[in-house]
Amino acid sequence: MNNIKIKTVDLSKWYGKIIGLNSFNLEISSGITGLVGPNGSGKSTFFKLAIGSLKPKTGQILVLDQNPWMNQKLLSNIGFCPDYDNLSDEATGKEFLDLVGGLHGLKGTSLKTRINEVSEIVGMKDELYRKIGGYSKGMRQRIKIAGSILHNPKLLLLDEPLSGADPNVRKSLINLIKSLNENLGHDIIVSSHVLYEIERMTSKIALIYKGRAIASGEISDIRNLIDEHPHNIIIVGSKIEELAKKLLEKKYTISVGFQDDRKKIKVQVSKPDEFFDNITELITELNCEIEQMYSLDDNLEAVFNYLVER
Amino acid sequence: MSEITNNITKILALIKYSTRKILFKKRIIIAFLILLTVIAVMGYAGAQDTDRLTTGSDLLGMLVVWFFMPAISMIYGCSVIRDEIEDKSITQVITSPINKIYAYLSYYISLTICLCLMNIVIITLGFISFFAQKGIDGQAISIYTTFLGLVILGVFVYSSLFLLTSVVFKRPIYFGLFFVFIWEGSIGTIPGSIQKFSINFYLRSIGSEQLEYIIINQATDIPTSLIIILSSIVIMIILGSIIFNRKEFP
Repeated sequence: MNNIKIKTVDLSKWYGKIIGLNSFNLEISSGITGLVGPNGSGKSTFFKLAIGSLKPKTGQILVLDQNPWMNQKLLSNIGFCPDYDNLSDEATGKEFLDLVGGLHGLKGTSLKTRINEVSEIVGMKDELYRKIGGYSKGMRQRIKIAGSILHNPKLLLLDEPLSGADPNVRKSLINLIKSLNENLGHDIIVSSHVLYEIERMTSKIALIYKGRAIASGEISDIRNLIDEHPHNIIIVGSKIEELAKKLLEKKYTISVGFQDDRKKIKVQVSKPDEFFDNITELITELNCEIEQMYSLDDNLEAVFNYLVER
Repeated sequence: MSEITNNITKILALIKYSTRKILFKKRIIIAFLILLTVIAVMGYAGAQDTDRLTTGSDLLGMLVVWFFMPAISMIYGCSVIRDEIEDKSITQVITSPINKIYAYLSYYISLTICLCLMNIVIITLGFISFFAQKGIDGQAISIYTTFLGLVILGVFVYSSLFLLTSVVFKRPIYFGLFFVFIWEGSIGTIPGSIQKFSINFYLRSIGSEQLEYIIINQATDIPTSLIIILSSIVIMIILGSIIFNRKEFP
């Protein structure tokens, strides 16, 4: 069985002079995949091409091995939760889910049962008969997610599901998304411009920038990529000037810069592994008292920044 | 068979949702205001010393069939799909496995159901407020049924036109205003062959064959008018559904 859920080959889409996606090449397999990129990088365009609401200008996109453009049948296998608010304030949550279910051919008892199930999953059972206009941001996101899983799709596309939600709601939505994969078996592609949120959901990411897929794979693989390139490390402590001098003698050091009353240095190194192997020895030799040492490139945000600036 | 049932379920779900949305939006106030205007004008005219059948027929024609019905069809027809595109609630429809041609038909059916309801209420209460004072007999009923038929036929044809414009234009209301108030309202009523390019002309032609009170120059016969109107409806629905099916939703 083919494990690839979405495959794009030289996919491009532009609106007038604005480029949405530009020779976009990506393969997404099962599980949860995080699509990461800043606002305007092309994440939403990618989703709209995947659900067939946009037609590619050039290249190809295959979703579950099918071309999504003018292929409404494919949508019975896809659940989509957009980044924008597509809910009608006048309707109740139940009416919204009735519509979604009806549009997927569900009716009668099976629809009622399914609405109960999904409202339970997303924690909205007690709010179903309230007007959507009175929902909080988190509740709106939940009812949108309920709509996207109502027909039990194979593939779930969640475009910025955490945007605008407060920290508590974010946390519960992250748990919900993880459980949709772990407990209910949905393959999920979730986008965000906040890297640490994605990191909490999955270790598999694709980075998008200016309409291009700049890297994809396991976070650890992407970290290996960055390890081959300059690394920035902050060291705070006493006798830091002597340490700086010693570091400058090393081949792996590209530059050393002082910060904050000369108690803090920023070291840029070409080979982080050698640096970390060596630094303990240097500190002992110089009898430095190190208060803090941390890499600026240790989190996903830095990986992303490095890769997009490459 | 299950495929057909499945499609019917999807169509009915969309018709139900869209119909409710049309009827319960604040825009319905416009229909109420039109209703009150028609009742007030016809009620006042009914209290005056006028010729019962001529005046009643003129008022129903001028107020409802030639003016308010196209106007209200334009207001709703131009907005039913366009509003959903603008507020993005159309996402639910375009991301569902319903054939977009069926989705377009569902919108058309909802629109005509709602407009027929509104116009039937308006023409019926308008008729009652005038003829109840003057006396309702067989001739009055004949006037009522003729105009009722024209209104329903008008709703079907104007809905198909304005629904089409709502998927073609980003601001369909401008076209709608031009069409209803300039094209249909003036050019469509002036003598000469130019009027044959208006919907109004064919509705009036049908009406004039039924009622002596509807006067029109160069009227076409009922079968020709019906063929032109019905084929216009079919063409505009097919065109609209093809455009909707191929439309991108950025």
